[in-house]
Amino acid sequence: MAGQQPQEKLNAAQRSKIRRLSAPKEPAEGEEAGELNVVPFLDIITNVMMFVLATVVTTFTATIDTMPPKAGGSGARAPTTPTLGLTVIIVPDGFSVKARGGNVATGCNETGPGLAVGKVNGPDGMEYDYKSLNACAKKLKNLSSDFKDETSVTVSANPNIPYQVVISTMDALRRDDQDEVLFPDVNFGLAR
Amino acid sequence: MATYKRELRKEIKRRAQEPEINFLNITAMLDMMTIILVFLLKSMSQSSANIPQSSDLTMPKSTLTTEASQEGVAVLVSKTNIVVDDSAVVPVPADPTHGIEGKYKRSGPNDLYIVPLANALQSWRERDRQIRAATGKDPSFSEAIIIADAGTPYRLLVEVLFTLGQAEFSRFHLMVLQGAKK
Repeated sequence: MAGQQPQEKLNAAQRSKIRRLSAPKEPAEGEEAGELNVVPFLDIITNVMMFVLATVVTTFTATIDTMPPKAGGSGARAPTTPTLGLTVIIVPDGFSVKARGGNVATGCNETGPGLAVGKVNGPDGMEYDYKSLNACAKKLKNLSSDFKDETSVTVSANPNIPYQVVISTMDALRRDDQDEVLFPDVNFGLAR
Repeated sequence: MATYKRELRKEIKRRAQEPEINFLNITAMLDMMTIILVFLLKSMSQSSANIPQSSDLTMPKSTLTTEASQEGVAVLVSKTNIVVDDSAVVPVPADPTHGIEGKYKRSGPNDLYIVPLANALQSWRERDRQIRAATGKDPSFSEAIIIADAGTPYRLLVEVLFTLGQAEFSRFHLMVLQGAKK
Protein backbone atom coordinates (compact mmCIF):
# COMPACT_ATOMS: atom_id res chain seq x y z
CA MET A 1 0.00 0.00 0.00
CA ALA A 2 1.23 3.50 -0.83
CA GLY A 3 2.58 5.59 2.15
CA GLN A 4 2.84 2.61 4.47
CA GLN A 5 6.34 1.80 5.74
CA PRO A 6 7.29 -1.80 5.64
CA GLN A 7 7.42 -3.15 9.25
CA GLU A 8 11.08 -3.58 10.17
CA LYS A 9 11.65 -6.66 12.26
CA LEU A 10 13.95 -6.39 15.27
CA ASN A 11 16.45 -9.08 15.77
CA ALA A 12 17.16 -10.77 19.13
CA ALA A 13 20.22 -8.62 19.85
CA GLN A 14 18.24 -5.43 19.30
CA ARG A 15 15.38 -6.64 21.52
CA SER A 16 17.90 -7.56 24.21
CA LYS A 17 19.54 -4.16 23.94
CA ILE A 18 16.13 -2.42 24.22
CA ARG A 19 15.37 -4.40 27.38
CA ARG A 20 18.74 -3.53 28.82
CA LEU A 21 18.59 0.16 27.99
CA SER A 22 14.98 0.66 29.06
CA ALA A 23 15.56 -0.82 32.50
CA PRO A 24 15.13 1.94 35.14
CA LYS A 25 18.52 3.19 36.17
CA GLU A 26 19.65 3.16 39.74
CA PRO A 27 20.50 6.74 40.64
CA ALA A 28 24.20 7.31 40.63
CA GLU A 29 26.10 8.33 43.74
CA GLY A 30 25.36 11.97 44.35
CA GLU A 31 22.47 11.98 41.88
CA GLU A 32 19.87 10.50 44.16
CA ALA A 33 17.61 12.75 46.21
CA GLY A 34 19.71 12.31 49.33
CA GLU A 35 18.33 12.72 52.84
CA LEU A 36 19.79 15.65 54.72
CA ASN A 37 22.04 14.34 57.46
CA VAL A 38 20.60 16.10 60.47
CA VAL A 39 22.29 14.03 63.15
CA PRO A 40 25.09 16.57 63.88
CA PHE A 41 22.52 19.34 63.89
CA LEU A 42 20.35 17.42 66.36
CA ASP A 43 23.42 16.80 68.52
CA ILE A 44 24.06 20.52 68.67
CA ILE A 45 20.41 21.30 69.44
CA THR A 46 20.33 18.68 72.20
CA ASN A 47 23.53 20.04 73.71
CA VAL A 48 22.19 23.59 73.61
CA MET A 49 18.94 22.47 75.22
CA MET A 50 20.76 20.59 77.99
CA PHE A 51 23.04 23.56 78.58
CA VAL A 52 20.12 25.98 78.77
CA LEU A 53 18.12 23.75 81.09
CA ALA A 54 21.12 23.17 83.34
CA THR A 55 22.21 26.78 83.61
CA VAL A 56 19.02 28.80 83.52
CA VAL A 57 17.30 28.60 86.86
CA THR A 58 13.69 28.91 85.91
CA THR A 59 12.26 31.28 88.44
CA PHE A 60 8.61 32.11 88.41
CA THR A 61 8.01 35.51 89.83
CA ALA A 62 4.96 37.42 90.92
CA THR A 63 4.42 40.99 92.02
CA ILE A 64 2.45 42.35 94.94
CA ASP A 65 0.98 45.76 94.20
CA THR A 66 1.17 48.35 96.95
CA MET A 67 1.01 52.08 97.50
CA PRO A 68 3.54 54.43 99.13
CA PRO A 69 3.78 54.25 102.92
CA LYS A 70 1.37 56.46 104.81
CA ALA A 71 1.87 58.11 108.13
CA GLY A 72 -1.23 57.66 110.28
CA GLY A 73 -4.51 56.00 109.24
CA SER A 74 -5.45 54.42 105.96
CA GLY A 75 -7.11 57.48 104.47
CA ALA A 76 -10.39 59.35 104.68
CA ARG A 77 -13.41 57.34 105.68
CA ALA A 78 -17.10 58.01 105.81
CA PRO A 79 -17.77 58.56 109.50
CA THR A 80 -21.12 56.81 109.39
CA THR A 81 -19.80 53.51 108.08
CA PRO A 82 -18.24 51.28 110.70
CA THR A 83 -14.86 50.06 109.54
CA LEU A 84 -12.47 47.49 110.88
CA GLY A 85 -9.34 49.54 110.10
CA LEU A 86 -7.10 46.52 110.51
CA THR A 87 -3.46 47.22 111.32
CA VAL A 88 -0.88 44.50 111.78
CA ILE A 89 2.41 45.44 113.39
CA ILE A 90 5.19 42.89 113.13
CA VAL A 91 7.34 42.88 116.24
CA PRO A 92 10.19 40.51 117.14
CA ASP A 93 7.87 38.42 119.35
CA GLY A 94 4.91 38.09 117.00
CA PHE A 95 2.07 40.14 115.56
CA SER A 96 0.33 43.01 117.24
CA VAL A 97 -3.11 43.48 115.70
CA LYS A 98 -5.22 46.59 115.96
CA ALA A 99 -8.82 46.73 114.81
CA ARG A 100 -11.62 49.25 115.33
CA GLY A 101 -9.16 51.53 117.04
CA GLY A 102 -8.25 49.08 119.79
CA ASN A 103 -5.56 46.51 120.40
CA VAL A 104 -6.63 42.92 119.85
CA ALA A 105 -5.63 40.75 122.83
CA THR A 106 -3.95 37.37 122.72
CA GLY A 107 -6.20 34.75 121.15
CA CYS A 108 -7.85 37.29 118.89
CA ASN A 109 -11.14 37.25 120.75
CA GLU A 110 -11.35 40.58 122.51
CA THR A 111 -9.59 43.87 122.91
CA GLY A 112 -6.92 44.17 125.52
CA PRO A 113 -3.19 44.37 126.03
CA GLY A 114 -0.66 41.95 124.59
CA LEU A 115 0.24 40.47 121.25
CA ALA A 116 -2.66 39.02 119.27
CA VAL A 117 -0.49 36.31 117.76
CA GLY A 118 2.78 35.28 119.35
CA LYS A 119 5.61 33.22 117.96
CA VAL A 120 5.46 29.43 118.09
CA ASN A 121 8.06 26.71 118.32
CA GLY A 122 9.06 25.47 114.89
CA PRO A 123 11.77 23.28 113.40
CA ASP A 124 14.15 26.26 113.28
CA GLY A 125 13.32 27.64 116.73
CA MET A 126 10.71 30.29 117.43
CA GLU A 127 8.81 31.18 114.27
CA TYR A 128 6.08 33.59 113.30
CA ASP A 129 2.66 31.92 113.41
CA TYR A 130 1.18 32.85 110.04
CA LYS A 131 -1.66 30.32 110.33
CA SER A 132 -2.91 31.89 113.53
CA LEU A 133 -2.59 35.36 112.01
CA ASN A 134 -4.64 34.17 109.04
CA ALA A 135 -7.29 32.74 111.38
CA CYS A 136 -7.27 35.97 113.41
CA ALA A 137 -7.78 38.12 110.29
CA LYS A 138 -10.63 35.85 109.20
CA LYS A 139 -12.25 36.05 112.63
CA LEU A 140 -12.00 39.85 112.70
CA LYS A 141 -13.40 40.18 109.18
CA ASN A 142 -16.37 37.98 110.06
CA LEU A 143 -17.17 39.98 113.21
CA SER A 144 -19.66 42.09 111.30
CA SER A 145 -21.20 42.12 107.84
CA ASP A 146 -20.04 45.77 107.58
CA PHE A 147 -16.47 44.53 107.22
CA LYS A 148 -17.02 42.02 104.44
CA ASP A 149 -16.16 44.54 101.71
CA GLU A 150 -13.13 45.84 103.53
CA THR A 151 -9.97 44.62 101.83
CA SER A 152 -7.26 46.99 103.01
CA VAL A 153 -4.86 46.44 105.85
CA THR A 154 -1.98 48.52 107.12
CA VAL A 155 1.16 46.53 107.76
CA SER A 156 3.93 48.00 109.83
CA ALA A 157 6.96 46.44 111.41
CA ASN A 158 9.89 47.04 113.69
CA PRO A 159 12.88 48.44 111.80
CA ASN A 160 14.83 45.18 111.93
CA ILE A 161 12.07 42.86 110.65
CA PRO A 162 13.25 41.15 107.43
CA TYR A 163 11.42 41.68 104.15
CA GLN A 164 10.60 37.94 103.93
CA VAL A 165 8.55 38.18 107.14
CA VAL A 166 6.68 41.20 105.75
CA ILE A 167 5.88 39.29 102.53
CA SER A 168 4.77 36.18 104.44
CA THR A 169 2.56 38.38 106.64
CA MET A 170 0.97 39.86 103.53
CA ASP A 171 0.43 36.31 102.21
CA ALA A 172 -1.25 35.32 105.47
CA LEU A 173 -3.56 38.34 105.31
CA ARG A 174 -4.47 37.94 101.63
CA ARG A 175 -6.73 34.89 101.65
CA ASP A 176 -8.10 32.38 104.16
CA ASP A 177 -7.77 28.59 103.98
CA GLN A 178 -10.99 28.40 101.91
CA ASP A 179 -9.43 30.85 99.41
CA GLU A 180 -11.85 33.61 100.41
CA VAL A 181 -10.48 37.13 100.03
CA LEU A 182 -9.46 38.71 103.34
CA PHE A 183 -7.21 41.77 103.07
CA PRO A 184 -5.27 41.79 99.79
CA ASP A 185 -4.71 45.58 99.66
CA VAL A 186 -1.70 46.33 101.80
CA ASN A 187 -0.52 49.78 102.85
CA PHE A 188 2.76 50.09 104.64
CA GLY A 189 2.83 52.04 107.84
CA LEU A 190 5.78 54.20 108.71
CA ALA A 191 7.85 52.98 111.60
CA ARG A 192 9.40 56.10 113.05
CA MET B 1 16.97 1.58 12.82
CA ALA B 2 13.95 3.85 13.13
CA THR B 3 11.89 0.97 14.45
CA TYR B 4 14.58 0.14 16.93
CA LYS B 5 14.64 3.73 18.26
CA ARG B 6 10.84 3.90 18.40
CA GLU B 7 10.66 0.60 20.27
CA LEU B 8 13.39 1.74 22.67
CA ARG B 9 11.55 5.01 23.43
CA LYS B 10 8.30 3.12 23.95
CA GLU B 11 9.93 0.61 26.24
CA ILE B 12 11.72 3.32 28.30
CA LYS B 13 8.42 5.16 28.69
CA ARG B 14 6.60 2.01 29.70
CA ARG B 15 9.13 0.95 32.29
CA ALA B 16 9.76 4.40 33.75
CA GLN B 17 9.00 4.59 37.47
CA GLU B 18 7.50 7.49 39.33
CA PRO B 19 10.06 8.73 41.86
CA GLU B 20 8.82 7.69 45.24
CA ILE B 21 9.44 9.50 48.50
CA ASN B 22 11.03 6.89 50.68
CA PHE B 23 12.22 9.12 53.52
CA LEU B 24 10.57 11.61 55.85
CA ASN B 25 11.55 15.17 55.11
CA ILE B 26 12.14 16.66 58.52
CA THR B 27 13.87 19.83 57.37
CA ALA B 28 10.70 21.90 57.81
CA MET B 29 10.20 20.47 61.27
CA LEU B 30 13.77 21.33 62.23
CA ASP B 31 13.27 24.86 60.96
CA MET B 32 10.28 25.13 63.25
CA MET B 33 12.20 23.64 66.19
CA THR B 34 15.02 26.10 65.74
CA ILE B 35 12.60 29.02 65.65
CA ILE B 36 10.84 27.76 68.77
CA LEU B 37 14.18 27.30 70.54
CA VAL B 38 15.28 30.83 69.69
CA PHE B 39 11.89 32.17 70.78
CA LEU B 40 12.11 30.28 74.10
CA LEU B 41 15.63 31.48 74.80
CA LYS B 42 14.64 35.05 74.05
CA SER B 43 11.48 35.03 76.14
CA MET B 44 13.26 33.32 79.05
CA SER B 45 16.01 35.89 79.02
CA GLN B 46 13.50 38.72 78.96
CA SER B 47 11.42 37.46 81.84
CA SER B 48 12.34 36.71 85.41
CA ALA B 49 15.39 34.66 84.54
CA ASN B 50 17.44 37.83 84.14
CA ILE B 51 16.95 38.77 87.75
CA PRO B 52 20.20 37.81 89.41
CA GLN B 53 19.77 35.37 92.25
CA SER B 54 22.89 35.37 94.36
CA SER B 55 23.95 35.60 97.95
CA ASP B 56 23.76 39.38 97.52
CA LEU B 57 20.16 39.34 96.33
CA THR B 58 17.72 36.55 97.07
CA MET B 59 14.12 37.48 96.53
CA PRO B 60 11.53 36.53 99.16
CA LYS B 61 9.11 33.70 98.50
CA SER B 62 5.38 34.18 98.38
CA THR B 63 2.27 32.07 97.92
CA LEU B 64 1.13 34.47 95.23
CA THR B 65 0.79 32.92 91.77
CA THR B 66 -0.26 35.87 89.65
CA GLU B 67 1.86 37.03 86.75
CA ALA B 68 4.60 39.51 87.49
CA SER B 69 4.07 43.05 86.33
CA GLN B 70 6.82 44.28 84.03
CA GLU B 71 5.88 47.95 84.04
CA GLY B 72 7.95 50.53 85.83
CA VAL B 73 11.50 51.28 86.81
CA ALA B 74 13.32 48.40 88.46
CA VAL B 75 14.77 49.30 91.85
CA LEU B 76 17.03 46.60 93.25
CA VAL B 77 17.79 46.56 96.94
CA SER B 78 20.57 44.07 97.53
CA LYS B 79 22.65 43.45 100.63
CA THR B 80 25.30 45.92 99.42
CA ASN B 81 23.68 48.44 97.06
CA ILE B 82 20.54 50.10 95.85
CA VAL B 83 20.50 49.87 92.07
CA VAL B 84 18.33 51.85 89.67
CA ASP B 85 18.39 51.05 85.96
CA ASP B 86 21.53 48.90 86.29
CA SER B 87 23.58 51.55 88.06
CA ALA B 88 24.35 51.51 91.77
CA VAL B 89 23.16 54.74 93.36
CA VAL B 90 23.74 54.31 97.07
CA PRO B 91 25.55 51.71 99.20
CA VAL B 92 23.70 49.71 101.84
CA PRO B 93 25.57 49.71 105.17
CA ALA B 94 26.73 46.48 106.80
CA ASP B 95 24.03 46.87 109.45
CA PRO B 96 21.01 48.17 107.52
CA THR B 97 18.49 47.94 110.39
CA HIS B 98 18.72 51.73 110.74
CA GLY B 99 18.46 52.31 107.01
CA ILE B 100 20.87 54.10 104.73
CA GLU B 101 23.66 56.16 106.29
CA GLY B 102 22.70 59.65 107.42
CA LYS B 103 25.03 61.40 104.96
CA TYR B 104 22.87 60.17 102.07
CA LYS B 105 19.67 61.49 103.65
CA ARG B 106 18.09 64.90 103.23
CA SER B 107 18.22 65.82 106.92
CA GLY B 108 20.13 63.28 108.90
CA PRO B 109 19.82 59.61 109.83
CA ASN B 110 16.19 59.83 111.01
CA ASP B 111 14.96 61.09 107.67
CA LEU B 112 13.49 58.59 105.21
CA TYR B 113 14.39 60.50 102.04
CA ILE B 114 17.44 59.03 100.27
CA VAL B 115 18.84 61.87 98.15
CA PRO B 116 20.98 59.90 95.62
CA LEU B 117 18.07 57.52 94.99
CA ALA B 118 15.65 60.39 94.44
CA ASN B 119 18.09 62.05 92.03
CA ALA B 120 18.48 58.83 90.06
CA LEU B 121 14.71 58.44 89.86
CA GLN B 122 14.12 61.99 88.71
CA SER B 123 15.34 61.55 85.12
CA TRP B 124 13.44 58.29 84.80
CA ARG B 125 10.30 59.98 86.10
CA GLU B 126 10.62 62.82 83.59
CA ARG B 127 10.97 60.38 80.70
CA ASP B 128 8.14 58.22 81.97
CA ARG B 129 5.87 61.24 82.39
CA GLN B 130 6.26 62.08 78.69
CA ILE B 131 5.75 58.46 77.65
CA ARG B 132 2.62 58.10 79.77
CA ALA B 133 1.20 61.37 78.43
CA ALA B 134 1.91 60.28 74.84
CA THR B 135 0.36 56.85 75.34
CA GLY B 136 -2.80 58.15 76.98
CA LYS B 137 -1.97 57.00 80.51
CA ASP B 138 -2.23 59.11 83.62
CA PRO B 139 1.05 61.08 83.67
CA SER B 140 0.67 62.19 87.27
CA PHE B 141 2.43 59.11 88.64
CA SER B 142 4.90 56.41 87.66
CA GLU B 143 5.26 52.79 88.62
CA ALA B 144 8.20 50.97 90.13
CA ILE B 145 9.18 47.34 90.49
CA ILE B 146 10.89 46.70 93.82
CA ILE B 147 13.27 43.76 93.78
CA ALA B 148 14.62 43.49 97.28
CA ASP B 149 16.63 40.90 99.16
CA ALA B 150 14.63 38.70 101.53
CA GLY B 151 16.73 39.90 104.44
CA THR B 152 16.20 43.61 103.78
CA PRO B 153 15.09 45.20 107.07
CA TYR B 154 11.73 46.93 107.13
CA ARG B 155 13.33 50.30 107.87
CA LEU B 156 15.36 50.21 104.65
CA LEU B 157 12.35 49.01 102.65
CA VAL B 158 10.25 51.89 103.95
CA GLU B 159 13.01 54.39 103.16
CA VAL B 160 13.12 53.17 99.57
CA LEU B 161 9.33 53.21 99.23
CA PHE B 162 9.08 56.63 100.84
CA THR B 163 11.72 58.08 98.50
CA LEU B 164 9.92 56.55 95.53
CA GLY B 165 6.69 58.11 96.75
CA GLN B 166 8.37 61.51 97.02
CA ALA B 167 9.64 61.13 93.45
CA GLU B 168 6.03 60.74 92.22
CA PHE B 169 6.09 56.97 92.04
CA SER B 170 2.83 55.94 93.56
CA ARG B 171 2.35 52.35 92.45
CA PHE B 172 4.82 49.71 93.52
CA HIS B 173 5.15 46.12 92.40
CA LEU B 174 7.01 44.11 95.02
CA MET B 175 8.66 41.28 93.13
CA VAL B 176 8.63 37.91 94.86
CA LEU B 177 9.37 34.33 93.95
CA GLN B 178 6.42 32.00 93.60
CA GLY B 179 6.35 28.73 95.42
CA ALA B 180 6.28 29.40 99.15
CA LYS B 181 4.38 26.83 101.20
CA LYS B 182 0.96 27.93 102.40
